[in-house]
Amino acid sequence: MYRSQKLSLRYFTAAIVLFGVMILFGLLSALYYLYPSMLFNVFNFSTSKILHIDTLVIWLLMAFMGAVYWYLPKELGREIEGMWLAEATFWVFCAVVAVVALVFVFVQYGSASEFSLWFINQGRKYVEAPRWASIGVVAVMLVFAYNVIGTAVKARKMTGIMWVLVLDLIPLLLVYLDAFPAPTNLSVDLYWWWWLVHMWVESTWEVLIGCVMALVLMDVMGTPRRIVEAWLYIEVMLVLGAGILGLGHHYFWIGTPRYWLGIGGFFSALEPLPLLGMVVHSIYDAGMHRMKTANRPAFFWITAEAFGNFIGAGVWGFMMTLPQINLFSHGTQWTVSHGHFAFYGAYVCGVLAVFYVAKQKIAGVDFLDGRAWRWSFALFNFGMVGMVMGLLISGMAQAFYGRAIGGSTLMAFTQASENPWFLAGMYARMGFGVIFALGYVVLVYDLLTAPRRALVAQPAPLEPA
Amino acid sequence: MKLEGAATRGTRTGLDLTDPNFWRAGAISTTLVMLVVLAFLSIDSMRVISVGGAHVPRYDVVNQHIGYRYDWSRRADVPVIGGAEPLFGVTLTEAQATALVREGKLVIQSRACMDCHTFFGNGAYYGPDLTKSWLDPAWPQIWMPMTGKPTREEAMVAFLMHPDQYPTWNRRMPNLRLSEREARATVTYLKWMSAIDTNGFPANFGQTHAQQ
Amino acid sequence: MTPAALIETALLLGVLVLAGGGYGGLYSVGRLRARPALVRAGWVCWVAAFAVALVIAVATPLEAGWKLLVLGSAIVYAVIPPVTWRYLERLHVEAERGR
Repeated sequence: MYRSQKLSLRYFTAAIVLFGVMILFGLLSALYYLYPSMLFNVFNFSTSKILHIDTLVIWLLMAFMGAVYWYLPKELGREIEGMWLAEATFWVFCAVVAVVALVFVFVQYGSASEFSLWFINQGRKYVEAPRWASIGVVAVMLVFAYNVIGTAVKARKMTGIMWVLVLDLIPLLLVYLDAFPAPTNLSVDLYWWWWLVHMWVESTWEVLIGCVMALVLMDVMGTPRRIVEAWLYIEVMLVLGAGILGLGHHYFWIGTPRYWLGIGGFFSALEPLPLLGMVVHSIYDAGMHRMKTANRPAFFWITAEAFGNFIGAGVWGFMMTLPQINLFSHGTQWTVSHGHFAFYGAYVCGVLAVFYVAKQKIAGVDFLDGRAWRWSFALFNFGMVGMVMGLLISGMAQAFYGRAIGGSTLMAFTQASENPWFLAGMYARMGFGVIFALGYVVLVYDLLTAPRRALVAQPAPLEPA
Repeated sequence: MKLEGAATRGTRTGLDLTDPNFWRAGAISTTLVMLVVLAFLSIDSMRVISVGGAHVPRYDVVNQHIGYRYDWSRRADVPVIGGAEPLFGVTLTEAQATALVREGKLVIQSRACMDCHTFFGNGAYYGPDLTKSWLDPAWPQIWMPMTGKPTREEAMVAFLMHPDQYPTWNRRMPNLRLSEREARATVTYLKWMSAIDTNGFPANFGQTHAQQ
Repeated sequence: MTPAALIETALLLGVLVLAGGGYGGLYSVGRLRARPALVRAGWVCWVAAFAVALVIAVATPLEAGWKLLVLGSAIVYAVIPPVTWRYLERLHVEAERGR
């Protein structure tokens, strides 16, 4: 095992731990909706939510970094450049996250001053971490970029996948610089903030996970490099072709010019089309390469990625993206429904596949299967679908009663939040959230447990058309 | 193998769609074109959303009455800036208004208001949207009598300083230890924010469906 | 847009994409397992998707431009699975030949 792959395992471990923290605070946040007086003035909803959404970003980022550290030496045929720096940076990253979390929990907020922004809470969604921590994150990412680019330079070798990855790291890093400013003008603030958030989760992260999936496909299913490369370029072309101006679907209501309604809505509506292509591709791979699959859980999670992405981002997104609908759905539990489903389908599924790739390598088995992963797979998917359906019902009730009928005032908001449909959705979300959490528990158990050596024979391969 | 490939490539006419390089060129050109368009649109948008631009008024708009009315030509609700209506009875210079609004933004960030509330629909969905909170009928109808304050802004300050003392039906707002100065700055911010043209979000504010 | 139309239109939009996905899925599995019945079922899904697009065009209060986009999307959905499948087959044939 390469030294950087050992680092991968540390990143994967940290990622899985933070995934658990995220779920814990997700469950807690959901509980406030059912017991609103809970922990009043002791631990606020806002603190719970901050921990939930910030660990989301960090755990996925750590998983991506782990995936790159895992595959990079195999891609370039040599150990990573600057390993000692990467190893030290891992601990710095963990320490920064821990300190930030402790300050969120025990200090929570400060006075209206630059000091608060530098050391306590910046209060901008997903990037609430104080500025000192943002500097830490920038340092971590710079070391990561050095590891990747430095290794490529030393190896004097570049593959297509590596080019895409390296070029993707540049905007990834640049847009993170928006974690620092605090413009007084909220329209300007949100304008650039969306460059960070959208250009991460709907652009650079899409390309990153595309690169990771390309590497996983070659590994798990033996797909030829030329094919994954062609496919990766097509994916980048379509995802960025729609996604860059699809950024405009966040520019409907923040004070920006009216033409964004047309531009944003149009490009956003195109976004499901490449996702349909990915569904077809995943079915093709499932059939064509199933006989060569040596890692069943990874294969199932890769397939789940394509479907989850299409339904969570494509179907759910299309329902709410046209401006006439979005005017009422914007900023309701409808948004929450879409957000959970899209993140899960687009990123979580792919990352879990990578974890199973690592597990197989550590376990040293030629063929990875088992019973526990199937339970985890079922619980996660069932839990997520149930959660987002509950949130969709609540969100539609909120848009219907609070916005369309009620006129979006405080009283309309309050009445919508007491609507029986809204509450039913909140209870459903809680119940299915617990199921999702159980999926996590089984996942951790499965990843920590060595696979049994006596393996069942593979089923007869399918006859392709 | 290579020779065979070269030979077939030589006899092939037109595009080779199975060649990754074709799609690589496509990916690069598409991305660049989209980024250039985005750059132009961003420059234009900054013109509109900067303070004093077409959609975002100067901070001293807080000295005036702010309304929200349906505009049939735009088929959306738009803010309406009216006559003099100084906040807390004091007419501010632009510099004073800027300082207050700036402090208000620091309050909003330091207390992470966006992690319970939404602003222009962005944030968290536990508390109500605050885009037009300045215009909310609850202030004159409920909060002014409850706090015993004669003006909307004073009722807002009283609420913000001790939200845990006031009943808010089901969900509750915690005490974020706002000083009176911070509370006044926040109210100033909310009044300024309500004057921003958001292309009609939220729609039909304050009007129930029966009235639409 | 009335409150009811809001929910109905949103649901129709979602069903449109879902039907498009059903078409893509059934078509692909049908081609994979050489089962024309599944491919035909896929086409039925597409017809349903297009029917939903027509309902959106006729019966919802969306503006004309958006209705055109919805109809255009539904038509493009027809093309994506067969083109993608044919392309994937060709990619793999070329890769085999290159070995």
